[in-house]
Amino acid sequence: MLEQRLQEIFGYSEFRPGQKEIIEHLLEGRDCIALLPTGMGKSMCYQLPGYMFDKPVLIVSPLLSLMQDQVDQLRQRGEKRVVALNSFLSPNKKTYALHFLHEYRFIFTSPEMLTQPQVRQRLQSMELSLIVADEAHCISQWGFDFRPDYLRIGEILGEGRPPVLALTATATDSVLADIKKYLSMKEPYQFIHNVNRENIKLAKYMFDKKEEKHEWILEHVKNTAGPGIVYMSSRKRCDEFSQLLIENHIRAASYHAGKDAEDRQFIQQQFIQNDVEWIVATNAFGMGVHKDDIRQVIHESMPANVSNYMQEIGRAGRDGKDALAILLYADGDEHYARYIAIEDLPKTMHVDAYAAYRQMQQNPTVMLHDEGMSETAFRVLDYWMQQEPQEAVKQRLLNMEENKHTAVREMANIIHMSTCMRAKLVEYFGQTLIKTQEVCCTECGLEMDKIIGPRRKVTKQALMTWDGRLQKLLFGHI
Amino acid sequence: MLRQILLHIFYQLNNERTINAAYHLLRGKRSGQTIQDVGIFKLYPYFGILRKLARPVFEDGVNSLGVEGWIRTDDNGYFTLTESGLEQVRKLALPFFDGWHYQGNEHIFYGRLSLIVQSLSNQAAGIRSFIPVQRNEEIQGWCRQFLLASDFRSGMLQQALFHEMKTSMEQSGLSTLQKELLVERLTGVGVTGIPWQQLSFEHEMTELDCQLLFISALHKWLDTIHQHNEQFPYLLKLAENIRIDNVLTGSAYQTAQMYNQGYSLEQISAMRRLKASTIEDHLVELAMNEPTFDSTPFISHEQHEAVQQAVRTYATRKLRVLHDALPHLSYFQIRLALAKGEV
Ligand SMILES: Nc1ncnc2c1ncn2[C@@H]1O[C@H](COP(=O)(O)OP(=O)(O)OP(=O)(O)O)[C@@H](O)[C@H]1O
Ligand SMILES: [Mg+2]
Ligand SMILES: [Zn+2]
Repeated sequence: MLEQRLQEIFGYSEFRPGQKEIIEHLLEGRDCIALLPTGMGKSMCYQLPGYMFDKPVLIVSPLLSLMQDQVDQLRQRGEKRVVALNSFLSPNKKTYALHFLHEYRFIFTSPEMLTQPQVRQRLQSMELSLIVADEAHCISQWGFDFRPDYLRIGEILGEGRPPVLALTATATDSVLADIKKYLSMKEPYQFIHNVNRENIKLAKYMFDKKEEKHEWILEHVKNTAGPGIVYMSSRKRCDEFSQLLIENHIRAASYHAGKDAEDRQFIQQQFIQNDVEWIVATNAFGMGVHKDDIRQVIHESMPANVSNYMQEIGRAGRDGKDALAILLYADGDEHYARYIAIEDLPKTMHVDAYAAYRQMQQNPTVMLHDEGMSETAFRVLDYWMQQEPQEAVKQRLLNMEENKHTAVREMANIIHMSTCMRAKLVEYFGQTLIKTQEVCCTECGLEMDKIIGPRRKVTKQALMTWDGRLQKLLFGHI
Repeated sequence: MLRQILLHIFYQLNNERTINAAYHLLRGKRSGQTIQDVGIFKLYPYFGILRKLARPVFEDGVNSLGVEGWIRTDDNGYFTLTESGLEQVRKLALPFFDGWHYQGNEHIFYGRLSLIVQSLSNQAAGIRSFIPVQRNEEIQGWCRQFLLASDFRSGMLQQALFHEMKTSMEQSGLSTLQKELLVERLTGVGVTGIPWQQLSFEHEMTELDCQLLFISALHKWLDTIHQHNEQFPYLLKLAENIRIDNVLTGSAYQTAQMYNQGYSLEQISAMRRLKASTIEDHLVELAMNEPTFDSTPFISHEQHEAVQQAVRTYATRKLRVLHDALPHLSYFQIRLALAKGEV
């Protein structure tokens, strides 16, 4: 009985929706796509099978931090046979890990690693029980522009492969089609959870000027209950705005990829323990953060597409209690969103420059310095220039740009149209709203104080002396 | 504080280098030029204290010196200290740094310490597995071995480490603030490490200042641990291979070994297939780091004294000026004399 194994190994008494169905199909050898909301336990869909098969499970994960998070979680449960093959491994460790690869239960890796000949050959020479693409929407969302190596996963899997499991929280029909195509999936079993999260209420506020938004957030945060996340579009804004909150005696922290690793861990920990009430973050914050009682998610400016928006607001209210997602908008925000969205795409002139270097038999990587291209942009360009002729690449890039613009427009629609926000969001993912709910969104009428309570003042803890702190650290008491 | 440090560096550089020299110095660039600057201008404290210093942060610091009217920069990147700049230099009260002997390794020491404290904290709370603060696999491996070798389950290590840390920190002459910083970046059960942003708010200074004071505290503390080594066996173990006493770069080190075996400059150049000028760079580096280095095969006592005299007369260490004053000496000889300094 599957339930029994779940209890024995993980100590959970029942499956969450979708888990059992997926696992059963995997055990039968069928490819699966699991579309489950964030935090609903997608990982379990491969963790339990990992203990039922006698060969390793390979998990391809898009972000290093995410990979580390999964590895930590498994290790914390006492699992030793788990390894992360990533660029952080020293050559010695890597050789060791590759040599004993077949001994592990869970092998985590990144798409980039998979394309390394050494890793690729090793994987092809051994038997796996299951291949997992975590955050599989990246295949589509990022694969075409951000992470071309994702597109090569299918190529590497080859014939006679074990079943493939694609996990994602947000995917439209076209993304699902991409996932199937690029992972070469054969008639996969699909479990598609209702994308609507009833307990997350949707609010939007319009402003004439950008500056007014900051004042509004400050007032709002001073008066309503956290814990919450404020998403902002740049590191600098996060630093500045969190500082403003701190100066107003709100326990806040700035979080972005520019913080050192220790800081990132301290901040997550503080947030989970409610030592910090508000995180002011770029979209680097979220994946892999397990906190059930986030009450509010505020977007200071519009996300680049609806998928990102859903993913980010989905971090609120995992405990099932009411939560609030607030989207702020000021005239002209689309321009900025559009700019950010295509910032990292290679431009037509880059295609010409690349071709010229190739003609002169020079290595185009010099473009990274000479043309001031970002590394992501170069990777994308490099991938497509090896696949297609120059003119086709140009056309492709223009299409990508157009798609990004369309995505921004779709997001803007949700803001500008005066029909139910929830209905539109759900529609975007190809579903229809089955029933209307009483408290829904700004367009249907929303009273904020019915959803979110007033802010609770906490008395500041007395600071410890340095030796008191040391004592508490080492002995657990003063 | 970065501003004060920059002012001090510029003062020491005596208007004879571009502002870039200060950037490379703070980041601890391992190039012949930077390393020689350290010796010539006595910049040992600051070498590599900010290995990750971002260019814009550095430039903001330099600009603010200009805004204060302490330095003037020209288009070629050279600068001059103004009267009020010199006035400021006299008022400087900078914390202790010993960049030359730690070069960023102090963070490895602290990384080991924090992972060990975290492990002991979890052990005291009966928690067997946790998310390690240190991701670096080398540090993790090192700590695992240390814990096993120290019989950490007995509870004795906690006691000993607490005692060693408390005593040595008290003996180091650290300010209360510095002692606080040293423990606030440690993390454990029920006592989470504090992010820099919050430390900056609590202690009412910038994040960078907190970090600099923290680094200064580590240097001081490590010095104390080394000086009283028999008193702090565990901390000494944690400081294993952290202090760099032989600071020669890899290639210079090989040259030094051959030179000490009696090979001549020309022989070394031929055997190593390196240009004579490269070997000269190495020997200058050696002269700077090895107080016992004998330079007489290349430059006589009288010549050495002449260089020192010229430095005083012309108040400069600019090679070109000195060479004009002492045309019978080669650049190499002058550099050697500068590197060895007063004898
Ligand atoms: N059947 C279950 N019963 C109780 N808890 C569960 C169950 N399955 C998973 N969980 C827990 O739910 C939490 C979230 O799981 P997981 O990280 O797999 O979510 P996810 O869907 O991958 O989220 P994300 O979208 O953030 O990646 C974990 O702490 C996990 O242990
Ligand atoms: Mg997940
Ligand atoms: Zn509605």
